[in-house]
Amino acid sequence: MRTERPVLTRAVVMMAALAVMALGCSKKANPNPAWDSKHPDRFSIYTVNYPLRYFAERMAPADARVVLPVPRGVDPAFWKPSADAVQEYQAASLILLNGAGYAGWTSYATLPQARMVVTADGCRDAYLRTQQGVQHQHGPEGAHAHGVLAFTTWLDLRLAACQSGRIRDALIERMPTAKAGVSVEFKTLERDLLDLDERLRIVGNALGGQPLLASHPVYQYLADAYGLSIQSLHLEPDQALSEDDWKEVDAVLKQYRHEWMLWESPPLAATEAGLLERGVTAIVFDPGGQSPSGGDFLSVMKDNVARLECVAGVKPCR
Amino acid sequence: MKDSIYLAWRYLRHHRAKTLLLVLSLSVFLGLPLIMRAMSRATQRSLLDRAEATPLLLGKKGSSLDLVVEALYFQLKGAEAITEADVDAIQATGLALGIPVRTGLMARGFPLVGTSLDYFPFRNLRIAEGRGLAMMGECVLGAEAAETLGLGPGDALLTSPSTLFDLAGVYPLKLNVVGVLEPSYGPDDEAVFVDVKTAWVAEGKGHGHQDLARAGPDVVLKRKEGTVTANAKLVQYNEITESNVGSFHFHGDPSSYPVSAAIVVPHDEKSGVLLRGRFVDAPTRQLVRPAQVVDSLNKQIFRFERVLEIIVWTVGLATAVMFVLVMVLSWRLRAEELRTMTRLGGSRWKAAQIMGSEIALMVGASVLIAGVFGIVMAQYGETWLQNLILRGS
Repeated sequence: MRTERPVLTRAVVMMAALAVMALGCSKKANPNPAWDSKHPDRFSIYTVNYPLRYFAERMAPADARVVLPVPRGVDPAFWKPSADAVQEYQAASLILLNGAGYAGWTSYATLPQARMVVTADGCRDAYLRTQQGVQHQHGPEGAHAHGVLAFTTWLDLRLAACQSGRIRDALIERMPTAKAGVSVEFKTLERDLLDLDERLRIVGNALGGQPLLASHPVYQYLADAYGLSIQSLHLEPDQALSEDDWKEVDAVLKQYRHEWMLWESPPLAATEAGLLERGVTAIVFDPGGQSPSGGDFLSVMKDNVARLECVAGVKPCR
Repeated sequence: MKDSIYLAWRYLRHHRAKTLLLVLSLSVFLGLPLIMRAMSRATQRSLLDRAEATPLLLGKKGSSLDLVVEALYFQLKGAEAITEADVDAIQATGLALGIPVRTGLMARGFPLVGTSLDYFPFRNLRIAEGRGLAMMGECVLGAEAAETLGLGPGDALLTSPSTLFDLAGVYPLKLNVVGVLEPSYGPDDEAVFVDVKTAWVAEGKGHGHQDLARAGPDVVLKRKEGTVTANAKLVQYNEITESNVGSFHFHGDPSSYPVSAAIVVPHDEKSGVLLRGRFVDAPTRQLVRPAQVVDSLNKQIFRFERVLEIIVWTVGLATAVMFVLVMVLSWRLRAEELRTMTRLGGSRWKAAQIMGSEIALMVGASVLIAGVFGIVMAQYGETWLQNLILRGS
C-alpha cells in the first residue's frame, strides 16, 4: 500500500504543474511603448539645407536644437545619408524639407510624415524646371522622363520669406508657448529677406534684360523673380575648363554678348583669366545651400547682392 | 476512508482500458463547453482589443467588415483601395494622424504590410533586434514571421509573385531584413513590414533601371528628339540597394497610388467626431469605428456559440447517460465480487464507499484534464479560431 501512494501523488502533482504552466503562458507581455529617440528631452529640428537651418535657428527658442547633419563640403542637395543618419531624422521633433525635389534622398527614405514640413510647398503655383530630362520608353507605360525641378527656391527671397513663414507656423504649432518669441524673430527675418528682395528688384530693373552667363543651372528662381536673363552652363569652379568647355563658352558668347558670368564660388585663376580674355568678368553669387565657411546666410546673400549691384551700376563696386 | 480510496484506485488501475475510456468521455463532456466558451471569449476579446486600439479606419465604401479584417488583421485581400491622397487629406485636416496600410502582397507566406513610420509607435511595436525602417527596399519582420522563416537582420526576403502564372507580371522584389519586432501577440507578429513606397515598388507601381542616357546600343531601340526607347534587355533592378536606390522612380503621381486603408488617429475626441461627420455622406469613402464593426461580428459569433452550446449539452447529456449505464452494468457484473466482500466482513456502506471513490476519482481526473485542456486551448487555440473566423480556413 505504501509503495502505491507516490504514484497517485505524482499523477496529481503533474496535472497541477501542467495547469500552472498553462496559466503562466496565458499571461501576455505588455510591450513598452515608444520608438527610440536619441534626444527625447530637447525639441530637435532637422533640416536638409543651410538656408532652412539658418531660418530655423533665427526663429527657434534657445533650447531647441537645429541640426543639418550633412558633412561639410558635401552638397546637401545630393547628399546620400546613411541609415543611421536617416534614423536621426526619424527621431527629430520636426523635419524641415525644402520642396521642389531638393535632397532626393527624402523620397526614398522612411520619414515620419506627421513631423515633416515641406517649406516651399504652396509658396508658388508651380516649381520651375531645369532642362527636361531625357524621355525614355520601356514596357507598357509609354514614354516618360524623370522630371527635374529647379530647387534653389530660396534665391527668390520672397519665396525664402514664405518658407520662413512655414517654419514659423510649424514651430508655433509644436511649441505654442514660444509663439511670441518666434513671431518677433520671424518679423525681423522677414524684414531682412525682403530688404534684400527689394535691392535685387532694383538690380533686375537696372540690368534691363542684359544677358548673364552662369556656370551652373542653379539660378532659375533668381532669374524668374528679378527678371534676369541667365544662360547656364555646366562648369565647376574648382576644376580647370577643358577644351570642350571653352568651345561651349565660345559658342554661347558667339550667340549673345555676355559681360558677366555668375559662379557659385570663385573660379580658378586660369578660368578667370580665360574669361577676361573673352571680355567676361566672373562674379561670385553663392547660392548658400551649404554652410558657409564664414558669416551666415544673410551675410552671404548681402555680399551676393552687393556684387550684383556693382554689375548693374546701382551702387559703386567695393 | 483511505483504504476505500486505495481499493477504488487499485480497481481502476486494474481495469485501465475501461477507466481511460470513461475518463476521456467525461473529460469531453465537461471540457467541450468550457473550451468552447474560453476560446470564444479569448478570441472575441483579442479581436476587440485590437479594434478598440484603432480609433477610426478610412477605406473605400463597401463592406466595413472586409475593411477592418484587411487593415487590422491583414487577412483578406482585395478590398477596394483608397489612395495616398486620402491619407494626405486626413493629415491636412489637422484633426488626425493618418497612417496608410497597404496589404495584398505576400512574402513567403506572410502578409506584406506597407505602412508609414507612425504605425510602429501607434501599435506599441518595438524593435527587438536590428533597427527600424530607414530606406526603401528594407523590411522589418514580426516576431512570429522571423522565427518561422529563420530570418534576422542582414538576411534577405523575396516577395511572392502576385500571380503565379503571369510571366509578364511583376517580378519579386528582394527585401533587406533590417529588424525584427518584439512579440506583440497579435497579427503584427506574422507580418512583414515595409515602407508604403516599397510596397508600391513590389506591386510594380515604381521601378528602378539602368540610366538610359548612358545605355549602349544593345539596349536602346531608338533615340529620337529627347526620347529613348529601350528594348527588353534593359536591366530593371529587383533589389533596392544603396547604389541603385536613386534610380527608383514612380510613373505618375504617387498621391494617386493605392492604399488599402488608413488608420485615422484623431488628436482628441472632438476631432474624431468632426471627422466622422465629414464622412457621413461621403459617396466613395467610409470612416468606420473598428470597435463597432468587431462588436457586431462578436455578436454574430455569440449567437452561433449559443446554438453550438445546445448541441454540445445534448451530446454531453447522452455521454452522462452512457456513463451512468456503464457504471450500473459494471456494478451488476461485480455483484459476485461485492458478495465476497460482504462475506469477508465488509459492510454494505464500505462497498458503497469504494464505488463512490471510483466515481469520484474518475470525475476528478476528468475535471483536471478538461481544465488543463481548456486553459491550453484558450491560449493556443485563440489564433486558430481567429483565423477560422476571419479567413474561414
